Amino acid sequence: MFEFLKKVFANEDNSSRNKANDRLRLVLTHDRIGASSQLMETLQEEIIALIASHVEIEGTPEVHFITEGRRTALDISIPLKGR
Amino acid sequence: MEKKTPDSQVIVVTSGKGGVGKTTTVANLATGLAKLGYSVVVMDLDIGLKKLDLILGLENRVIYDIIQVVEGECSLKQALVKDKRFPALYMLPAAQTRNKDDITTTQVEAICEELKPDFDFIFIDCPAGIEQGFRNAIAAANKAIVVTNPEVSAVRDADRIIGMLESADFKDIKLLVNRLRPEMVRSGDMLSIEDLMEHLCIELLGVVPEDRSVVISTNRGEPIILNEHSSAAHAFNNIVQRLLGNNVDLMTLEEDSFWRKLKRNLGFKN
Ligand SMILES: Nc1ncnc2c1ncn2[C@@H]1O[C@H](COP(=O)(O)OP(=O)(O)OP(=O)(O)O)[C@@H](O)[C@H]1O
Ligand SMILES: [Mg+2]
Repeated sequence: MFEFLKKVFANEDNSSRNKANDRLRLVLTHDRIGASSQLMETLQEEIIALIASHVEIEGTPEVHFITEGRRTALDISIPLKGR
Repeated sequence: MEKKTPDSQVIVVTSGKGGVGKTTTVANLATGLAKLGYSVVVMDLDIGLKKLDLILGLENRVIYDIIQVVEGECSLKQALVKDKRFPALYMLPAAQTRNKDDITTTQVEAICEELKPDFDFIFIDCPAGIEQGFRNAIAAANKAIVVTNPEVSAVRDADRIIGMLESADFKDIKLLVNRLRPEMVRSGDMLSIEDLMEHLCIELLGVVPEDRSVVISTNRGEPIILNEHSSAAHAFNNIVQRLLGNNVDLMTLEEDSFWRKLKRNLGFKN
């Protein structure tokens, strides 16, 4: 019985459909801005280095791509140390 | 022939990836509109690899082709092939032994301008790819239908094409999802319409299910839209209505509904 219920309410998480969605999300972001996944790391490093050369950083900086519709933006969050 | 509408819709059907159903879409939407009495011409720009004549069943009636038109060997009117089933449907054939660089965007635009006074709808069957053939196909169009399949590589190409259409200043870009298998979506093995919309973020024109009778109709040279019992025909008819500006709900692709599945799993025969 349980097996069959599981079949009916197909387990979403490791379905090939979910996998396809995850892969597409990533590849479309990179395709649209014309960059490889390598760029993310380079960007993160360079941005942090630039900021750190002027002010003191505290905690873990984060750099993400965010998509709104068909547009992509860089979302940068860098916690700075207060005096 | 009589034109029904003052303006002409010039619609390019494109996809990036090959074999997703562009030519099938062109043949069926054109036939569906011609059946309703609209004057329609289909332009095959898949030069060197033409298929539209076969899908429409017009291959034996082709005399001239579009390259002969631009090279002045015949007039545009002489090259147009008339469909015997529908007096309002015409095809401008591609050349099979030439290639995509044998015609320019300016020449395609000029042909479209010449066709506009006589036709309500001009469909352009775009070749796969993003090279010259694609540029020619989009040059004269004011609307684009992007065809995709619920499959990662087709979606990726569709996204690229949508980006290129946006850069070319297209305002009217709509998505047609072809070969959807609802039962696979339900079992978690195929991208759903919602998934595709989330990735591609453009307006949905319609959804055509996978349908074995498409192959049969292609064998016969009779567009599937003429076969009233097929689900693909139903889907194409709905899309025809949407092109005419009528709101039609998305068809419920429920052949393999929850209850059927439940019954089957409990050991009932459908
Ligand atoms: N909904 C469908 N169900 C089943 N088969 C289909 C469906 N749509 C298209 N096909 C089949 O898929 C194949 C490719 O279709 P079609 O030639 O229309 O694609 P295309 O995008 O024009 O290809 P190309 O890029 O080579 O021009 C054909 O054999 C056709 O019969
Ligand atoms: Mg084709």
